[in-house]
Amino acid sequence: MSHSDLYAEVDRSAYTNALAKSSPITKTFFALSALVLCVAAPTFVPTFIVPILIFILCTILILGIAKVNPRLYLNLLIYPTLMLVLSCIFLALFFGTGDPITQISLPWTTWSIYKSGILMSVHTFFRVEGALSCLFFLVLTTSITDLSLILRRIHVPKVLLEISLLIYRYIFVFLEVTEQMSTAQLMRLGKGGWLKRIRGLALLAGNLFIRSLEQAERTFTAMNARGYDGNIRVLEDFPQPNKMMLILIALFNVLLILVIYTLYLTNFGVL
Amino acid sequence: MLNKSLYAYWLTIQQGEIIMHIMEGFLPLEWCLVWFALSIPVLIYGVYRLTKITKKVPEAKPLLALMGAFIFVISALKLPSVVGSSSHPTGSGLAAVFFGPAVAGILSLIVLVFQALLLAHGGLTTLGANVFSMGIAGPAIGFTIWMLFKRTKLSPTIGIFTAVALSDLTTYIVTSIQLALAFPAEGGILAAFTNFAAIYAVTQIPLAIAEGILAVLIFSFLAKYKGNILSLLKVLKSPVSNTTQEVESQ
Repeated sequence: MSHSDLYAEVDRSAYTNALAKSSPITKTFFALSALVLCVAAPTFVPTFIVPILIFILCTILILGIAKVNPRLYLNLLIYPTLMLVLSCIFLALFFGTGDPITQISLPWTTWSIYKSGILMSVHTFFRVEGALSCLFFLVLTTSITDLSLILRRIHVPKVLLEISLLIYRYIFVFLEVTEQMSTAQLMRLGKGGWLKRIRGLALLAGNLFIRSLEQAERTFTAMNARGYDGNIRVLEDFPQPNKMMLILIALFNVLLILVIYTLYLTNFGVL
Repeated sequence: MLNKSLYAYWLTIQQGEIIMHIMEGFLPLEWCLVWFALSIPVLIYGVYRLTKITKKVPEAKPLLALMGAFIFVISALKLPSVVGSSSHPTGSGLAAVFFGPAVAGILSLIVLVFQALLLAHGGLTTLGANVFSMGIAGPAIGFTIWMLFKRTKLSPTIGIFTAVALSDLTTYIVTSIQLALAFPAEGGILAAFTNFAAIYAVTQIPLAIAEGILAVLIFSFLAKYKGNILSLLKVLKSPVSNTTQEVESQ
């Protein structure tokens, strides 16, 4: 099992990359605005230039500026991409409307392939790749603790944040416990055959459930011992955002919007 | 570090989980917004309930958090599916049976955010759609069925299996609808829905059955070894005046 490895690897990168100490507001602003623009770029012929631009920029930022291990980035990227290719082939072959470009008659039905379906799948491919790179930029450079500070600033309900922070605290503990239990089961031949595997999984989950309840009790005791009054307070260590960077990102966004708009006009023969 | 088992992990999760969560950027903006708009009122109600529960029962906060961590870890486990591949349980059906749909919705939201932020499963733009299918529609159906079965005095085993399996199936049907609305096919939304549903059926129906069986086994294990622990969870379901005493007496 290696999920905990991968979770831990991404989490570690968020704390140790070269951009870890820079303002989370700047990073989040960049990632989210690029993400929204990438998803919002309308779907007609040449607009996938926008997602491609965003993808290249994010990749440069992740590998060049944040100095994230290229293998980690590649590993994160490659499997969603494989899935995406499959999904896009599926979209191209079975979706779309209008006049079919080719028709194959099968004994029970006619199978038509449409130009709009192929276009849609190409757009989806670039859109997802662009969006993934934005998400990876955020994930690999900004830690969950920093993100929770931002969420606190934009007044996300406190209960939600406190519970999330506690969940985050215990995810890694439990992933490790799970791995240990799973290894123990494997050593005792608990995974021979489907029935044994699913029974083993149920034992594991049941035990984990009991452990989490017990841990909840202990956590509550610990919190009470430290003067818990219904609120969980955390120390905010928040680097101020660089105004120049924010303006630069805003300019980049405006540039992208202009590119989209120009392409839009060109495509519909206005220019 | 990054080793071969990592590749194996990624290869196996493709079977179910990535397909189940709509990928980052897969939906165009208008559909992202629609599903956010539909999810947010339900989530606000969930937060309202949560605030009420945690105010009345201070113990509820760590309890909810640990349950959230539990669901996250459950959804990271490899579940051997019936067709020989393995996949990941959603855990949201189980959460609905344990905690009721409002809390299950909030916990699913947090788990989905962490899955997006720690492993890029699902995504931020598709969060609304994923929360709707996995955290709202699925648990709502699962919980309703569980409540109905409780009244009929049938064996709870059948109730749990049906609730969890149907909750999974609801998630998969809703996801198919979400995709069908965003990706038109000749012959209308219904044709598009049939296309997506057919693809999902291969992985998700066996997975739903496997997860139902898993839930039954977990429940019987818990009832056998720690029956009284389940009563603790009533704290989360009914924050009425007597629950505080119940907690204190334990």
